Amino acid sequence: MSSSNPGSPSATATSSSSASSFSSKAHSCIRALSSILSTVPSSVSSSSSLLHDPTVSSQISTLLRDPDSGSGENDLCRWLYDTFHSPDPELKLVVLRFVPIVAGIYLSRIASRKSLAGFEAILLALYAHETTARDGQPISVNVPDLTQPSIYHEAKSSVKTQATELNLAVISPTLEPHGTMRSSRRARIVGVALELYYSKISQMPVSSKLEFCEFCDIWATGIQNKPSSSSSSKQKTILLPWELLQPSLRILGHCLLGAHKSKKLYEAASMATKSLYERSLHDIDAKAILATSSLLRLEKMALDPKLNVDHTEIDMSLAL
Amino acid sequence: MADDETPSQTQESSTAREFSANGTSMSTTDVEAKLDKGNIEEAESSLRERLSLNSEEARTLLGRLEYQRGNVEAALRVLDGIDLQAAIQKLQPSSQQAARLVLEGVYLKVKSLQKLGKFAEAAQDCANILDAVGRIFPQGIPDAQVESKLQEMISKAVELLPELLKQAGKYQEAMAAYRRVLLNPWNLDNDCSGRIQKAFAVFLLHSGLEAGPPSLGAQADGAYVPKNNLEEAILLLLVLMRKIHHGDIQWDPSVLDHLMYALSLCSQTPVLSKQLEELKPGVFHRTERWNLLALCCSGVGQNKAAMNLLRKSLHINERPNDLTALLLAAKICSEDSQLAAEGVGYAQRAVDNAKGVDEHLKGVGLRMLGLCLGKQAKVSSSDFERSRLQNEALKCLDSALSFEQDNPDIIFELGAHYAEQRNLNAALRFAKKYIDITGGSVMKGWRLLALILSAQQRFAEAEVVTDAALDETGKWEQGPLLRLKAKLKVSQSRPMEAIETYCYLLALVQAQRKSSGPMKIDSQVQI
Repeated sequence: MSSSNPGSPSATATSSSSASSFSSKAHSCIRALSSILSTVPSSVSSSSSLLHDPTVSSQISTLLRDPDSGSGENDLCRWLYDTFHSPDPELKLVVLRFVPIVAGIYLSRIASRKSLAGFEAILLALYAHETTARDGQPISVNVPDLTQPSIYHEAKSSVKTQATELNLAVISPTLEPHGTMRSSRRARIVGVALELYYSKISQMPVSSKLEFCEFCDIWATGIQNKPSSSSSSKQKTILLPWELLQPSLRILGHCLLGAHKSKKLYEAASMATKSLYERSLHDIDAKAILATSSLLRLEKMALDPKLNVDHTEIDMSLAL
Repeated sequence: MADDETPSQTQESSTAREFSANGTSMSTTDVEAKLDKGNIEEAESSLRERLSLNSEEARTLLGRLEYQRGNVEAALRVLDGIDLQAAIQKLQPSSQQAARLVLEGVYLKVKSLQKLGKFAEAAQDCANILDAVGRIFPQGIPDAQVESKLQEMISKAVELLPELLKQAGKYQEAMAAYRRVLLNPWNLDNDCSGRIQKAFAVFLLHSGLEAGPPSLGAQADGAYVPKNNLEEAILLLLVLMRKIHHGDIQWDPSVLDHLMYALSLCSQTPVLSKQLEELKPGVFHRTERWNLLALCCSGVGQNKAAMNLLRKSLHINERPNDLTALLLAAKICSEDSQLAAEGVGYAQRAVDNAKGVDEHLKGVGLRMLGLCLGKQAKVSSSDFERSRLQNEALKCLDSALSFEQDNPDIIFELGAHYAEQRNLNAALRFAKKYIDITGGSVMKGWRLLALILSAQQRFAEAEVVTDAALDETGKWEQGPLLRLKAKLKVSQSRPMEAIETYCYLLALVQAQRKSSGPMKIDSQVQI
C-alpha cells in the first residue's frame, strides 16, 4: 500500500525510471569506453554528447582503422556490440555512427584472411535488429500509374478501371535470420546495416557521413585518396553487388543533395559519386550507370546559379 | 571608388530610385539622406506629406527602400514601427488592398529575417501570413476575385515557408509545411506549384527523414495516397513529368534526373522508359535517348530490346563511337553465342576509342572482346577456327587483367576459359585466386573450383570444396551445389550417399514451394 502514497520516494522513482536508467546506462557505457580510449573529455556525460564529441569519435575511428582491429577479442568491437544492445535508442545511434567505418574496413579486409569476428558480430547484431524490427518483411514501393487520381493530381479520364495499375518494387527483400556471417550473405548483411544507417542518417554527424564517402570511394576504385593515411597504397577493389550498391547510393544521394550545409561533405560525396559512376561503367551495370550519372548531372545543376533563381525574392518596385 | 565616398553613396548614385503612389512620384534621395542619419520619423513624415500616405504605407515603402539598399537590419527597424501582428488580426476579407499592404510588410520582414539568418523567426512570421490568408479566404482563394499583386505575394510566401523551415533545421515541420501548401488550394500558377512539388520531391528523396504517409482522413476520397517518402517523391515527380508532357510547365531536366535516380534504385527502369518515350522530340538528341532507353531495358534484363536500340544509336551515321553504348552492346552480345560475332565488333571499337580521359575503360573493352571471342568460339564451324578464337579470347582477357590487376570478374573469366581449353592447372590457379579475392562470397567461384578439381579426377577434394561452399551459402541457394555434390558422390561410386543428397535437395525444393509467397522472389531455390 505504501506505493500508493504520492510522497513516497518509490513513486517519484518510477515516474522517471526509464530516463534515469537510460542515463545510468550511458554513464556505464562511457566508463567502459574510457578504459579503451586514451582520453574521454569530462564534457562527455550523456549519449548525445557521446554521439557528437569529435575527440571521442576520432579516437574510435583511429582505433577501428588499426591493422589489428576487428578481431573477436577486440575491446572496442565488444564495446560497440554491447552498446548497441543497450535499450537506450541514443546509444544505438552512437554505434550506427560508426557503421561506415566498420563496414568499410570490414569489406576492404575480406581478402586478407585476418580474423574479423569482432566486426562481424557488430554487423550481425545490426542485421538481427533490423530483421526483428521489420519482422523479416520486405520493403516495397508502389510506383503509381497516373490514370488513377492521387492526392497530388486529378485523373483526366474518370474511367475507374478495376485493377489499379501499380508497379510493386521490392527495394529491400525478405530478411532471413542469420546467426553467422556466411560469405554468400555478406553483402546482404552489410547492405542491411547500411539501410539501418540510412534510416537514421538525419541524426548522424557530418564526420560519420564523410567516412562513408571515403569508403565508398575506396570500394569503387580500390584507391585510398587520403594522403595522410598510413596505407595510401592501392587496395583491392571489392565486388559491389546491387544489395550493397543500392543502400550506398541512397546514402550518397543524401550526402550530395540533402539539406545539410557542409561544403566538405558535398565535395566528398561528389568525389565518391564520380568514382561509383566510373565503377558502374567498368561493371557495365545499367541501373548503376543510370543512378550515378543522374546524380552527377543533378550535382552540376545544383551548382549552376542560372538554374537556381530565388523566386521568393521581393519585387523591387517602390510603388504602392 | 573615391576614398571619401561611402558604399551607400556609390549605390545611390548608380541607381536613381523613385517612390510612387497615388499618382505622384518623388526621388528617394532626400529620404535616403534622412534614413542614413537615422531619422526614420522624418523620412516617414516627408513621404506621408509628398505622396499622401498613411503611416503604415509610408513605413512599408521605407522598409522596401532599405531592403533594396541591402540594409536589411535597417529595414527591420523601419518595420518595427508598424504593429504588424495587430494589423493582421484586424484584416477584413472585404479589403484586399489593405490586406496586401499589411501582408507585404510582414513578408518584407520575413525576407529580412531570412537574410539575417534568423530562419526560425522568419518561418514563424511566414506561417502567420498563410494563417491570415486562410482567414481572409476560408474556402480557398477564388481565382476570379483575388487581386493579382496579393496573389503574387501569397504565392511567394507559400513557396518560402518550407524553405525557411529547412534552413532553420526544422525538417519535420518542413515536411508538414510542404504538404500543407501542396494539399490546399492557394490558387498557385503552374510554375509555382511545379517548383514546390519538385523541391518537396527532392526533400523527400534526400533528407533521409522518414515522415510517414500524409494523413488526410476522408479528404483522400479514393485517391491514391503514397505510404512512404520514396513513394511520395516518385508520385510527385511523375506528376511533374505529366505537366511537362502536357506543356503545363517548361521542360526541366532535373525532374527527369531525380526520377531516374529514384526509379533506378527501385529497379523500375521500364517506368522511366515510358517517360523518355513520351518526351517531345528535341528535348534529347535521339542517340542520347536511345542510349538511355537501352540502359533502362538492360536494367531489367530486356536485352533484345536494348540491342535493337543500341544498333540504332551505334549506326555509322549516328554515334558509332559512344563508349558506354559500345560497352553495353558488347556485354549483351557476350552473353549470347548468336550475337557474339557482332559483339566482337563493338568491343573492338570500344578498345580503339578508350583514349584520353576514357583510357581507364580500355581494360573493360578488352575484357568484353575476350568474352565475345570466347562465346563466338563455341559456335564456330571448324576446330581450327575454334582454337584460334579461344586463343585470341585468352590473349584479350590476359591483357585486360594487366589493366585491372585484381578485377575479380576477369580472374573468374580467365579461370573459366582455361578450364574450357582443358588447361586445368592455369584454370585452378585463377579459380583459387577468385575465391580468395571475393572471400568466397560468390557461388559460381566455388562451383568453378569444384568442377576443375573434378575434371582433374580429384573427386574427394572437389567434395570438400562443395561442402565448404554449402557452409557459406544460405539454404535457398544451395540447389546447384547439392546437385554437384550428388554427382561427385556418383563419380566416387557412392550411389547411396548420392541418393541421400538428392533426397535432401528434393526436400528443400518442397519446403521452398510451401513457404514461397508473392514476396519471395529473391529466395527461390536455384537448381
